[in-house]
Amino acid sequence: MSAKKLDIILSNRQKSSSELIEVMQDIQGVYNYLPEEALRGVSEKLEVPLIEVFRVANFYKAFTLKPRGKHLLTVCMGTACHVRGAPKFLDEVLGQLGVQPGETTKNGEFTVETVNCLGACALGPIVALDGKYYDHMSSGKLRVLIQKVREKPGKKRKRK
Amino acid sequence: MSVAITIEALKKQAEEQKKEENKYGKIVTLCAGTGCSASGCLSVLASLRKELKNKKLTKKVKIRTTGCHGFCEQGPLMVIEPGNTFYCHIKPEDIPEIVSETLQNDKIVERLLYTDPASGKRISREKDIPFYKAQERVVLGQNKLVDPCDISDYIANGGYSALIKVLTSMKADEVIKEIKESGLRGRGGGGFSTGKKWEFCRRAEGASKYVICNADEGDPGAYMDRSVLEGNPHAIIEGMLIGAYAIGAEHGYIYVRNEYPLAVKHSKLAVQQAEEIGLLGKNVLGTDFSFDIKLARGGGAFVCGESTALMASLEGKVGEPRPKDIHTTEKGFMDLPTNLNNVETWANVPSIINKGASWFTAKGTAKSKGTKIFALTGKIRNTGLVEVPMGTSLRKIIYDIGGGSATGKRIKAVQTGGPSGGCLPEELFDLPVDFEALTEAGSMVGSGGMVVMDETTCMVDMAKYFLKFLVDESCGKCVPCRVGLSRMLEIIKDITEGRGTEEKLELLKDTAETVSIASLCALGKTAPNPVLSTIKYFRSEYDAHIKEKRCPAGVCRELIHYSIDKEKCKGCGACFKACPHGAIIKKEKTYKIDDAKCQKCGICKEACKFEAVVVK
Amino acid sequence: MSEYVTLTINGARVRAPRGSSVLDAALEYGICIPHLCHVPGLTPIGACRLCIVEVIKNGKSKVTTSCTLEVEEAMVIKAHTEKILKARKNIAEMLVAEAPNSRAIQDIAVRCGVKEVRYPFRHENCVLCGRCVRICDELWQSKSLGFVGRGLARKVRLPFDERPDYCKRCNACIDICPMTITPCDGPMKKGEEYFCGKCESQLSMAQESPDTCVDCRLGEGFGCVRARK
Repeated sequence: MSAKKLDIILSNRQKSSSELIEVMQDIQGVYNYLPEEALRGVSEKLEVPLIEVFRVANFYKAFTLKPRGKHLLTVCMGTACHVRGAPKFLDEVLGQLGVQPGETTKNGEFTVETVNCLGACALGPIVALDGKYYDHMSSGKLRVLIQKVREKPGKKRKRK
Repeated sequence: MSVAITIEALKKQAEEQKKEENKYGKIVTLCAGTGCSASGCLSVLASLRKELKNKKLTKKVKIRTTGCHGFCEQGPLMVIEPGNTFYCHIKPEDIPEIVSETLQNDKIVERLLYTDPASGKRISREKDIPFYKAQERVVLGQNKLVDPCDISDYIANGGYSALIKVLTSMKADEVIKEIKESGLRGRGGGGFSTGKKWEFCRRAEGASKYVICNADEGDPGAYMDRSVLEGNPHAIIEGMLIGAYAIGAEHGYIYVRNEYPLAVKHSKLAVQQAEEIGLLGKNVLGTDFSFDIKLARGGGAFVCGESTALMASLEGKVGEPRPKDIHTTEKGFMDLPTNLNNVETWANVPSIINKGASWFTAKGTAKSKGTKIFALTGKIRNTGLVEVPMGTSLRKIIYDIGGGSATGKRIKAVQTGGPSGGCLPEELFDLPVDFEALTEAGSMVGSGGMVVMDETTCMVDMAKYFLKFLVDESCGKCVPCRVGLSRMLEIIKDITEGRGTEEKLELLKDTAETVSIASLCALGKTAPNPVLSTIKYFRSEYDAHIKEKRCPAGVCRELIHYSIDKEKCKGCGACFKACPHGAIIKKEKTYKIDDAKCQKCGICKEACKFEAVVVK
Repeated sequence: MSEYVTLTINGARVRAPRGSSVLDAALEYGICIPHLCHVPGLTPIGACRLCIVEVIKNGKSKVTTSCTLEVEEAMVIKAHTEKILKARKNIAEMLVAEAPNSRAIQDIAVRCGVKEVRYPFRHENCVLCGRCVRICDELWQSKSLGFVGRGLARKVRLPFDERPDYCKRCNACIDICPMTITPCDGPMKKGEEYFCGKCESQLSMAQESPDTCVDCRLGEGFGCVRARK
């Protein structure tokens, strides 16, 4: 983990908790997760008690302290999607990839997460893969999607 | 570097923009909201741009990409003016025909028109489509007219004229009076009088004051705020400017949930463009009123939609609510007087200022004025965003606008207000959407989510769904919410898995009562609503689960049984191929389900074209 | 502005110093309002919700925790209405079902009138009252502990689960924890938890006067403010 990258993110920040969440979003944008070393650095540089940094990192679902897979597959579990069969679809996803929500496949390829509503409710069940939305999903379409992703070995994860 | 622009110059710019637009022969409006983007409108756009370039029509045809139009089930869609021609379900391959027929020769491409399921006829003009006709799209209708990434569009459509009116001819107290008299109430779910809130904040004492736009829309099934913020961010900025002026605030925040990247992008851009021409920052439009807006992103927490939790999150802390014995209008963000309003509330402000309080009070009921945007989803034909005057009946929204059931099954309930709301049965569909009426019935207007359910939805399962959601999203600070909701979920799981008893149902109700009385914040206090409303109106389903260990809707896995009807089975093997658990075996000419392996996932039922899979 | 305000609690006129909480005022006057997360001298957080009361204003009643509510002149408080007693009893019942292995919590349940526990017992070792977090932060200025995680995953943890070098090893967090006092019959095994409620004399006293402090020994268990005296 490069100390330089962290320094850039932390430069010109207020010495308080006010920019903590933004800083963590930037760190996760660069490293794909929140490394412990980075968080300790944040606590030191922004002069925020370590326990507070740790609390914020663990409270928000957007943050993860474990490294994520190359591709992030998010399944929407909102009400409209639920009524259109999202739980069955989630079972499909977990079955096909062999993981539980929040986990990464053994080969580090996919991390599966659930989200409680992506806000595209007319088009459920919805799945987001690396930030792109796919609507009216079915198990068949999912197989095709995963296959497509696997066939592009050089495709990098889209950074936000 | 910001160039100070005077009020006169802004007005002139608007006039010139309008003149520019009239030079084009045709204007094509393409919806590029998140929904349509997911259905492929960006490839349609690319195809259109390419075709226009090839045919050398770029000077004759203007393309305007806008935010969500609301008719999400029909996307990708476009409207062509003049003529108000509406095309839907467009694919990139359709573009050459649209360009040559409609844009070049004023002819209509019949197959791309919307077909009204009721009459079976094709409709060519957008304004004649029943879905749109039955609505009153005061706020959402603006989306169609502006490109959210171009401030001049907004200005050309009269944008910022309300701000100009306020800065040149109204005192702060007059603005507050106008908003109070309009009867505008919070559109995020609280339903508190916006004018009164502004007044409390104005009267509060503090070194500085803040206004916040709550765009943390977390209710699953609700996406109104996303569409308004993505599609017309300047309406919110203008509303916030007017509010800040009235309250005496110099700083503002737009807090957008993490899951809305397009809304973040568009509002950031809008703020930037407004700053560039002096609408935000020091000395707005050359007056001595200064106001700046910062963007903040949520971290993925439903509870941050609660105002005290949101403010904690803005301060860089965990989003835990605090008791509201002292209101946030007195001590909010950084312990300073803060006025927080929802996206839709802010978006209503400019038109109230421009058209006056009495224009607003003319719509709606005695206590619920104006219009409200609803996200109509679920088992309904026309899913999408719908804006109607308060007081419109649920029946009108579901049947006249929503088009009724998409599958022919009987619609049995509608869930309003998200996880804080309740499920109302078909017998109550004549109720008006009105803050008090829905609350009295055991639900609430809430932020505007409206999920339609039919006879294939199990109401006990829906109650379980909402409890699970709330248990997931609870911050965990207080005992009634953290422990109480988990106990309620435990009991409802028992009921859906065949272990329900009358005593457990009573315990469920008792626990629900405690949670609603004793919880610290509104998340906990309203959490029992889905459970209590389903027990009240769908008791027979609970009774079936408890007394007969049966799920009438065929949803709860432990209580249903999948089998194949030999009479209907054609032996095609589609179910056999589809089953991911190897639970279907061939028996002579038909297929049979192996109960031991069956996981009741329902995939075989979806695969069968002959309705031979039976669920009891 | 005078140093004191006069308010009404359960019909009794109470005089309290400005800036104190309704709970402090009530306890001072011998009105029994059960509490768990409240510790005198530490910031109140209103987490356990046991001390809820009704505040009557303009004919409307609002329920809030008395520990976080500051006294105001002419405030009208009702701490033992049927609605409040029922909710308080249920909360205590939930707490016992969560952590029956704490004498403190068993005692609170008795005082709140719990007769039976209808929920299946769990075997938690922490009820998230936050006393340890606050004493570490406010008294010892150490900030070595905190509430980490959301909802059911919320736990008291050290940063990265490592004791930092600025932890003063003062043991204040353990001293003040209500889980450290086990039931009279000894610690309960997992799967063999039960609601005790054996203190007969305490039970009858508690039943007859739910709203008055009867100097019951129950309070010693959970560090009731009045028992400390």
